[in-house]
Amino acid sequence: MESVESIVKRFVVSAMSFGSISKEAHETVAAAMNRLGASSNSGEGGEDPRRYKLLPNGDSLKSKVKQIASGRFGVTTEYVINSDELQIKVAQGAKPGEGGQLPGHKVSEDIARVRHTTPGVTLISPPPHHDIYSIEDLAQLIYDLKCANPKARVSVKLVSEVGVGTIASGVAKAKADMVLIAGHDGGTGASPLTAIKHAGLPWELGLAETQQSLRQNGLRDRIRVQVDGQLRTGRDLVTAALLGAEEYGFATVILVTLGCTMMRKCHLNTCPFGVATQDPRLRERFTGQPEHVVNFFHFLAQEARELMAQLGFRTFDEMIGQTARLAYNPADFTGKAAMLDFKGILEVNGRAASQPVTCQRTAWREGVECFDDKLIAKCAPALERKEKQVLDLPIRNVHRTVGARLSGEIVRRYGPKGLPAGTIQLNFTGSAGQSLGAFLAPGVTLHIEGDANDYIGKSMSGGRIIIVPPAAATFTAADNVIAGNVILYGATGGEVYINGLAGERFAVRNSGARAVVEGVGDHACEYMTGGCVVVLGPTGSNFAAGMSGGIAYVYDPTGFFDTRCNLDMVDLEPVRTDEDLTRLRTLLERHIKFTGSAKAQQILEQWESQLAFFVKVMPIDYKLVLERMKQTPHREDETVSATEEVYNDGEADGLSGI
Amino acid sequence: MAKPTGFLEFKRQPPSKRPVNERVKDWREIEQAWPEVKLEEQAARCMDCGVPFCHMSGCPLKNVIPEWNDLVYRKQWRAALELLHSTNNFPEVTGRVCPAPCEAACTLGANDDPVTIRQIELHLVERGWREGWIQPQPAAMSSGRKVAVVGSGPAGLAAAQQLARAGHAVVVFEAHDRAGGVLRYGIPDFKLEKWILDRRLNQMKAEGVSFETGIKVGEDISVNYLLRHFDAILLAGGARVPRDIQAKGRGELKGIHFAMDFLIQQNHRVAGDTVPTAAEISAKGKNVVVIGGGDTGADCLGTALRQGALDVLQVEILPKPPAQRDASTPWPLWPYMLRSSSSHDEGGERRWNILTQEFIGKDGRVVALRGCEVEWKKAENGRMSPVEKPGTEFEVPADLVLLAMGFTKEGNAKMLNGCGLATTPASDPVLDRNFMGSVPGVFVAGDLNRGASLVVRAMMEGREAAAGVTRWLATKA
Repeated sequence: MESVESIVKRFVVSAMSFGSISKEAHETVAAAMNRLGASSNSGEGGEDPRRYKLLPNGDSLKSKVKQIASGRFGVTTEYVINSDELQIKVAQGAKPGEGGQLPGHKVSEDIARVRHTTPGVTLISPPPHHDIYSIEDLAQLIYDLKCANPKARVSVKLVSEVGVGTIASGVAKAKADMVLIAGHDGGTGASPLTAIKHAGLPWELGLAETQQSLRQNGLRDRIRVQVDGQLRTGRDLVTAALLGAEEYGFATVILVTLGCTMMRKCHLNTCPFGVATQDPRLRERFTGQPEHVVNFFHFLAQEARELMAQLGFRTFDEMIGQTARLAYNPADFTGKAAMLDFKGILEVNGRAASQPVTCQRTAWREGVECFDDKLIAKCAPALERKEKQVLDLPIRNVHRTVGARLSGEIVRRYGPKGLPAGTIQLNFTGSAGQSLGAFLAPGVTLHIEGDANDYIGKSMSGGRIIIVPPAAATFTAADNVIAGNVILYGATGGEVYINGLAGERFAVRNSGARAVVEGVGDHACEYMTGGCVVVLGPTGSNFAAGMSGGIAYVYDPTGFFDTRCNLDMVDLEPVRTDEDLTRLRTLLERHIKFTGSAKAQQILEQWESQLAFFVKVMPIDYKLVLERMKQTPHREDETVSATEEVYNDGEADGLSGI
Repeated sequence: MAKPTGFLEFKRQPPSKRPVNERVKDWREIEQAWPEVKLEEQAARCMDCGVPFCHMSGCPLKNVIPEWNDLVYRKQWRAALELLHSTNNFPEVTGRVCPAPCEAACTLGANDDPVTIRQIELHLVERGWREGWIQPQPAAMSSGRKVAVVGSGPAGLAAAQQLARAGHAVVVFEAHDRAGGVLRYGIPDFKLEKWILDRRLNQMKAEGVSFETGIKVGEDISVNYLLRHFDAILLAGGARVPRDIQAKGRGELKGIHFAMDFLIQQNHRVAGDTVPTAAEISAKGKNVVVIGGGDTGADCLGTALRQGALDVLQVEILPKPPAQRDASTPWPLWPYMLRSSSSHDEGGERRWNILTQEFIGKDGRVVALRGCEVEWKKAENGRMSPVEKPGTEFEVPADLVLLAMGFTKEGNAKMLNGCGLATTPASDPVLDRNFMGSVPGVFVAGDLNRGASLVVRAMMEGREAAAGVTRWLATKA
């Protein structure tokens, strides 16, 4: 018989963000799961890098699984490389079709630091991933992640619903290593009632459909299947295994072992057991220990083991997917329920019947090759000895995610601060593919002469991306689209200078990068929480929707910008203070320095008169919080938040003082 | 919800008690009222739990505590009172004498001090009386059925009120001269003044309940007689047969009494009745020993002190419980821990692990008690049992011995069998889900059903049995 110790390795604690639950609770879960050799999940709130070091007692507080959610909070290069699994949360059972919400009073200094946002400002994850609008986009993100961290497996979290099998098949084709089916009654005390009720389906239905669709399409052998959504007992585990799941996720029940009494006050920050709160007075009351979780999982595995023995299976592997061993007792169903037909769940017909029932891959993950493999070899002097390097290379649009793996390598060797600015200068000529400069680390400059596709600077945490038109171009740079959609999605640092127009959703969910661009499409600066964006030309509509942090300066000679800006969360102000003037002027000067922009040059030449055309876009909450912070004279260095990084970071780039 | 952060802002404030030297001189209530503003603060401490343990594993009546706490915090007193009355017939009683299992189960009690639920309840209902919000609620129409309720303790009264409000004609039979059962004669006035009871009985009379006192069912009239004149009978006579002690001298010596006889007599006295000198049990000027460490024992202690006892010793055979909640009964279970009643602050001594071996007499009256300490050891059958500790024998002067060692279920069974009802080997009546016994139309509720227990449990049984009676009557053509 398979031992309890072996069975528990299949268990995971599903994603709960640091933010939704307290530091103590989050770290206790991680410690417990690492003791078991199983994995816990960071959730979508990033992770404090201090947790990557082992504790003196040998415990590790690192979450093996790192989640990549639509908000991309805290998704830095360091975060990505410190993971065994990267989980793309397409949806979650607790609130299918919605993003997470963290009310402002739960955004403490610590949380804001880890998430690269501003304390006290409510955080809303967008419902969709702005870099996923099709299954090809999902494949691109999976590729990005595998480029950045070649050692991690990549999983995709879906919600149980009608048609989930089709999506799961797409996920398998997009080369994910694992697909997670989340049941509708999963999580969370903090979701709005409208999201909890009448949305999604039980995990049993989604799992059965996933298993059948994957087999029908001949894909089951290449992807593992995980399930979660209020699993509680050994019987749940065995049912899930028989329906085809290889791994099992738990969340609520784990919080209960740590003291949760289902107060349903998670959204109020008043959890009296210190589980789902950030209030230091209440966090003191947390009494959970890793042993509690370990014990619970041992009991659970033992119960599953006993049932497994009764069914005549020696190992979980033997049991997985043996759906024929499931039956239902008609006597349990009376009245309307007697009309239920379980055939669709229990019977497997056609092509599916001859297909394997479990993942047949021996490797834990499917590796990918990328452009950077060669770059890393060429950059050996810089990587090993921090020598300055300048490389001139051609680039084509089949070269995707350039810079990610190189950046991962830099952060692995030198930490999140990376290399000194400008250590590696890569001059590309041509048309760059998608995700140029994704996860870019400090010390790398990507200079493109030509143009670039979508997702430039996705989740970049440092470095510089410069895009200029070909020297021989005859068009006016400021009128020409040179960069694609969704630039700087989830960026936490670095800078981008684009001598031309960019597409839709420029700087969406940016939380730390600085950018200068000469015009943008719709929805620019959407959900932005930090950083600084200068737009020297026309904007599309819905500018700054959901923007809760950071600053944007827009050059608006037409005077119509306010009609294109979403004013729900921001104020429009003139650029007047010395601070603003210095910041704006410095960014323009750098834009000219790196791109030779004629438009910026013109503006600077008539600085006094053109200044009147600049509008400052300032999130209302952010402004209040900044003012409050300025009035707090003494703060510990530890709690310096990303907000100040907007002002103070950049010494390495010669940007100190802005 | 009341106030999300209320429990962090306000501390639990138990009600203050009158000073000991003042209160032992009279029979008036011990607790003092708070100002209302404090009450709102205390109500604000309620956390409105997603899973409220106070009524899930706490209150037998399932009082909807978080909801009325919220209303009290918002000063919607009348609505709060209505909500309270919707599950509890006599909050003025439970607000005074209930040990508040709700507070033991209060989530806040898991790592802080629980909400003062009992006090809020008490103040809420007293305000209702003061403001005139509590009025008779006679049934809108009569069912044409007659129901006899035997016994007017908490179970009988709660059942009678529910039955009358359901439209039945209700007659309550009580063996004593006044209605109230254990509430009137078992509980001393310093815990529950009797005008409080009369106030509620008046409401019930206005709702159509009639009381026949001084009638012992089974002696003065038979159950069969009642069955001929009523559509249903609810037996709620309580657990009335006390457990006796097997010790040398018990049979022959005077001055050894059951606690209930002692307490009943004092309650009569406070009510202004005269007690025949020959039958008088008084602690005045005596060395009193109370055997039994429970609530009744504590009531004997307080009563004896007020009567002017020289000295009171309360002994208990079980070991002394820990001062705090024992690890064997974690929250939200009813805690195993030392409980002290107000009487214990007033004087006397308590000893645990004491076995009474012999009563020593002089001239036919008890003068001393001989006992020894015991140790609790696991016996061969696996149960913990007391073993005498050699060398610990002692003798204490005892002119009056009060036996407060609980009530036997065997006594209940005898009573039930006398009414023709079948009982189980464990002496419980055989009841269906409507609380009806083996004789059609005869129902059982309260301590007579489950053995001696809390007032609040008796009320719960009374309410449920009343509902059972109504359900059963509806099935009868």
